[in-house]
Amino acid sequence: MEARLEQALLLKRVVEAIKDLVQDCNFDCNDTGIALQAMDNSHVALVSMLLKAEAFSPYRCDRNIPIGINLTSLTKVLRCAQNDDILTLKAEDSPDTINLTFESSESDRLSEYDIKLMDIDQDHLGIPETEYAATITMPSAEFQRICRDLIALSESVSIEATKEGVKFSCAGDIGNGSVTLRSHTNVEKPELNVEIDLAEPVALTFSLKYLVNFCKASALSGSVKLCLSNEVPLLVEYGLSGSSWLRFYLAPKIGDEE
Amino acid sequence: MAAPCAMDEVPPENLFIAPSIDVPRLLSGQSYSYHSPVPRALVDDKVTECVLGVDEAGRGPVLGPMVYALFYLPLPLHRSLLAETHHFDDSKVLTPQVRSNLVQKLCTASTDLHQSCGWAAKVMSPRDISAGMLKPAVLYNLNQQAMDATIELIKDVFARGVNVKEIYIDTIGPPQTYQAKLSRIFPTTTITVAKKADSLYPCVSAASVCAKVTRDAALEVCYRAYTAAPLTPEGSEAPATAEVEGWGSGYPSDARCSGWLKRNMDPVFGWGNVCRFSWNTAKDLLEAKSSAVNVEWPAQEDEDNTRMIDFLPASRRDQKKNAHKMATWFGVKVGEGLF
Repeated sequence: MEARLEQALLLKRVVEAIKDLVQDCNFDCNDTGIALQAMDNSHVALVSMLLKAEAFSPYRCDRNIPIGINLTSLTKVLRCAQNDDILTLKAEDSPDTINLTFESSESDRLSEYDIKLMDIDQDHLGIPETEYAATITMPSAEFQRICRDLIALSESVSIEATKEGVKFSCAGDIGNGSVTLRSHTNVEKPELNVEIDLAEPVALTFSLKYLVNFCKASALSGSVKLCLSNEVPLLVEYGLSGSSWLRFYLAPKIGDEE
Repeated sequence: MAAPCAMDEVPPENLFIAPSIDVPRLLSGQSYSYHSPVPRALVDDKVTECVLGVDEAGRGPVLGPMVYALFYLPLPLHRSLLAETHHFDDSKVLTPQVRSNLVQKLCTASTDLHQSCGWAAKVMSPRDISAGMLKPAVLYNLNQQAMDATIELIKDVFARGVNVKEIYIDTIGPPQTYQAKLSRIFPTTTITVAKKADSLYPCVSAASVCAKVTRDAALEVCYRAYTAAPLTPEGSEAPATAEVEGWGSGYPSDARCSGWLKRNMDPVFGWGNVCRFSWNTAKDLLEAKSSAVNVEWPAQEDEDNTRMIDFLPASRRDQKKNAHKMATWFGVKVGEGLF
């Protein structure tokens, strides 16, 4: 397997976004790209990432290779790369280590690291295809701000999507709060658009701790997509270049009608 | 103040076990207070003005409780009875045997000491001290714990109807701040906070003796409990050397104490209620490589959160079991479908 990324920044940010949720996981490489899927320890959240072959130039992988790695170790090595460095991943067919090289785009500096791999026995969970009742696209910074603001009041947030818009509300010991967004099109700055695609109204409650954690991916994409259906996990998707993506799923809380 | 200079001494064979020793509570790691009965003379005549001294023993040790004791008696007897008749002095100057005898006299009904003097002790358990010092958000340090123990003891004496006019205390931190704090709480009393109060004022000396004897007896009681129930009951390797050496004074600098800690550490739980886990001596031993095991704490579960696995076909068995209700939600298995 050999994959060359024009900018190390992409992988740095992906790993940064998931390393607090997952400690060890497999990067599954095959001819279409690199995929990752892992649940957090409490089995409340799931991370799914797909970096398609098009995200790399070039990308070559002849057989299915699982690369089991400790994300803390990977973070340590990725910190040695500059954001603009060209990053190349290399692994044998049944690898003990993965090799990372960072080439400076400006100078002739070349650094090379090997990380020992681990055998991770991971269930491949089929993530069901779902027709979501509501799909909300909004600036990722906006979503991050809402989560950070509301976690000051409460541990959980209720997300309610109706014809009027989408309302994030919470109630805690000191009081309660809510943020409502309506569909909004900004011709000047399309990156500020809020789109709400609603088949039927939904209302679900989620743990804010996890949502705040997901928001670490905000640097990866200007916009984020939230998909909701009643009694189904929330999907939070950050689109990456070349139709690759980073997705987080979060199981809803129960027994909270508000 | 009990200083480490006292650490090498050996407790007397016939150490007096004062009534301030509550064995069940000591062994279970609880803090508690003991109050002697108020002397008859003071009960009969509530206007008698009294002088009260407070001192502590066992601030520095890693093993055993910290003890705050107070001692009170009618003002006119202050020097004559304590200093002149019974030669109370700073507990470090007196030998363990002399201290033990003095407290024994104090607790014997027929003596002049018993008839005119009252005393009290607050035994602060290692567990509570450590819990306060290791509290995550707002830590409760040793000085604050000590001040609160002192104030609680004095309030209890007032509540028993003793007319305390003068209070002498060895200082905790800067004398002025501590004095100002106490004066606000006990406005009708003359309060003197001083360094080395235990050698200057006989009532503080007497308090220091009560504290020291209580602390020594408490440590002895705890130690007996340990040797009676050794950690390796059936083992042929029962620590014979430990029984000979004991754990010494409980001060970290005492080789017997550090040796005992090393020999008797449980790899998971460390030591029992007798140890102050907030002391660096204990922390260092537990955190040292290869001595204690690393404990992984499972992620705290949110009671009311559903699990992702409830929504995913984790295994074939689960899939069958849940198929009826999940059928609408299950889609393709991962693999080709993911790409």
